[in-house]
Amino acid sequence: MERRRFIRLMGLSSLFWSLPLRNLFASTGPVVAVADGADAATITRNAINALGGMKRFVKPGNTVVVKPNMGWDRTPELAANTNPLVVRAVVEECLRAGAKKVKVFDRTCNDERRCYKNSGIETALAGMKGVEVKHVEEERYKKVALGGKALQEWELYGEALSADVYINVPVLKHHGLSKLTIGMKNVMGIMGGNRGSIHKNIDVALADINSVFKTHLVVVDATRILTAHGPQGGDIKDVKQLNKVIASTDIVAADAYATTLFGLKPEDIAVTVEAHKRGLGEMRIDRMKILKV
Amino acid sequence: MALKKLPPHRIVQLIFLALFLILFLMTEYRGSDRITAAVNGFFRANPLTAVSTILAEKAWNWLLMPGFVTLFLSFFLGRFFCGWICPLGTVLDLITKKIKKSAAPLLFNNSVKLWLFLPLITASLFNLNLAGLLDPIAILLRAMTFFMHPLLGDTVRGTWRGLYQVMGDNRDAIAPVYKLFSTYLLPFREALYPLAFSSALLLGVIIYLERHGERTWCRKLCPLGTLIGIVTRFSPLLRSPDDACSPCEKCVRACPSGFDRELMQKEECFFCMKCVNDCPTGKVRFYFGFQVEKGVFMERRVLLGGMFSGLVMARLLRFREPARESRLLRPPGVLTEDEFLKKCVRCGECMKVCLKSALYPAFTQAGVEGLYTPVLIPRLGYCEYNCNLCGQVCPTGAIPDLLIEEKKRQVIGKAVFDKNHCIPFARRIDCIVCEEHCPIPQKAIRSEIVTMTGFDGVKRQVKAPYVVDELCNGCGICEKVCPLEGKSGIEIFAVKDRTPLKDAAASGKAAQMAEDPYK
Repeated sequence: MERRRFIRLMGLSSLFWSLPLRNLFASTGPVVAVADGADAATITRNAINALGGMKRFVKPGNTVVVKPNMGWDRTPELAANTNPLVVRAVVEECLRAGAKKVKVFDRTCNDERRCYKNSGIETALAGMKGVEVKHVEEERYKKVALGGKALQEWELYGEALSADVYINVPVLKHHGLSKLTIGMKNVMGIMGGNRGSIHKNIDVALADINSVFKTHLVVVDATRILTAHGPQGGDIKDVKQLNKVIASTDIVAADAYATTLFGLKPEDIAVTVEAHKRGLGEMRIDRMKILKV
Repeated sequence: MALKKLPPHRIVQLIFLALFLILFLMTEYRGSDRITAAVNGFFRANPLTAVSTILAEKAWNWLLMPGFVTLFLSFFLGRFFCGWICPLGTVLDLITKKIKKSAAPLLFNNSVKLWLFLPLITASLFNLNLAGLLDPIAILLRAMTFFMHPLLGDTVRGTWRGLYQVMGDNRDAIAPVYKLFSTYLLPFREALYPLAFSSALLLGVIIYLERHGERTWCRKLCPLGTLIGIVTRFSPLLRSPDDACSPCEKCVRACPSGFDRELMQKEECFFCMKCVNDCPTGKVRFYFGFQVEKGVFMERRVLLGGMFSGLVMARLLRFREPARESRLLRPPGVLTEDEFLKKCVRCGECMKVCLKSALYPAFTQAGVEGLYTPVLIPRLGYCEYNCNLCGQVCPTGAIPDLLIEEKKRQVIGKAVFDKNHCIPFARRIDCIVCEEHCPIPQKAIRSEIVTMTGFDGVKRQVKAPYVVDELCNGCGICEKVCPLEGKSGIEIFAVKDRTPLKDAAASGKAAQMAEDPYK
């Protein structure tokens, strides 16, 4: 009985989708810009420009948070952290769009001084006016009601909450538990408290956070990707040069598209599926408007 | 305010104290993998460290060469180290005026300090280097590292946090001021240390002794001063006149040291030249000559008794409780406990510099003989994979200064899962936070996918972690990050065989281990 009902439902819904409504939905499908090229900074700019340029997101006088993944004491070529050139290009675009202040931080897994330094990000941003690269400060976490399926509330970083624009700049890499870590997992960097404890239900928990805390722009660094032993890696043999940067306003779409670069399907990644199910974004590649630049 | 002209020894003292403080603050990671200068220089120039360590090691150690140079110079210049360099001596000189000399001077003879000194030195001879317990520089450094610096850090940081409650994000306006302060003056981490109180107390007692007269500790007790005193007793450096000329006795009053008896005591003179500077007639001078010091220096029973106590200490203090020893994790590169105890001077520098505040002074883990030696407590802090700072600052090489690539392969211990606590085993759900954090590129913690029936009755696939012993260096990050509260589901246990891990690139077997049998 169940199965029959299911099939009938599927059949009916396909009818529904064939109606003009479908076209209406399709036209609002998210834009995913995919830039290809050897120069990390250039392709980062190309991807952002394909979405309409940084001015679309950052208004003059805005405070912007650019959140890379710099959780590990690994050098840039090991692809455990976001490529510093990508981060710098994003920050420069923000400043050019008139941002008053750009804050760059991450709650690191290894010693924060070493991570900031050896990720190359602190050095890449050194001396830039209006740019703040600070370690996170315990007192800035604020309890946020999530009312989610796994998490009722969690402490999120105040500077991320109060920013006018939040730009998520993850690196695309392998992860032992969630298979991949991309944009939605990178939001863990603004979580306070005992983050490890969400691992037991990580996909649902991440969807909970991402449904309340909104990323305005995702720029996925796929210039080089860590294909195994993630999220930390450490062996250059696990790194693959991809020379791509993906940008989108839809974090689910960006994650889903990035997944395909790994040779996986979006539905292989549980957090993507969970987020899509909740209407946080699009995971079906054919519903996205992919701009290759 | 009229600036009084400072006597030369005071200027030099202040310079060395400032140097000590600056080096203390430099004993911290500041963005460079190498620490260019650390406070270890003071220990390397410290004759007590040098003599006790070499006696224990029974081998020459170039790192300690400066200590012998100091001893050699002392032969000609008296206890100049105490009067001109020792930072503890300078601290005492600076605060002694504030302390009422309300107690009678301690009129012990030489034997009291020898009763402290001889057992320490003899224990070294029997392979237990205890000198650091009473070494004045170590006492000062421990009080600073375990007590004063954390207290300063805690107070300032607490105030800074409190300001956030009051001002909120407006606090950012004054952040640069705080940043300057926190970058250069505060300890990076807020660690609390065991033995913080006793470290401070020992320094407190030394300061309290000033009630009995200036530099009571230095003259009557300090084992470093005693060692230098033994050399200076035979020094050709003499003072003329060798007694005070009555009724003036101005030099007796000026003298911070051994002039409370009629004659100048050569082994107590700090060579500070106060008597030269303060003499109204200008006839006091130091010269090189030959004169046999009067009086018995070391009674036979003191010598034999002191040495016997040292032997007894070296043997009888060795009791250790095996259960505690199973978690006695030494800093990376320490291969055997015996070798470590010969060299460790318990100065606390490794604990000061430790990037993740993983090292703590041993209280009970290593028995009485291991008091104040560094122990890694992974639940509080782990050993950072790419860091070798402890080896860089260790003054005696008790923790070897290894290249980063070598250090990564040093075995501190081995990780062991406790399946009664570990989440995938005990609760049959996913976790693997430990695997995620394991810094070994080939992963010393891996997981196999196991089908389990959860306690909710649902069959599911769970990642069950396991340790690859051949790859684990015992850094402890797994134990640190385990999301369980209190006790971790994975713990590092000490191992006797600390043969460094094989170089994965060079060794076929390790490369084989890198293949995951469950993939």
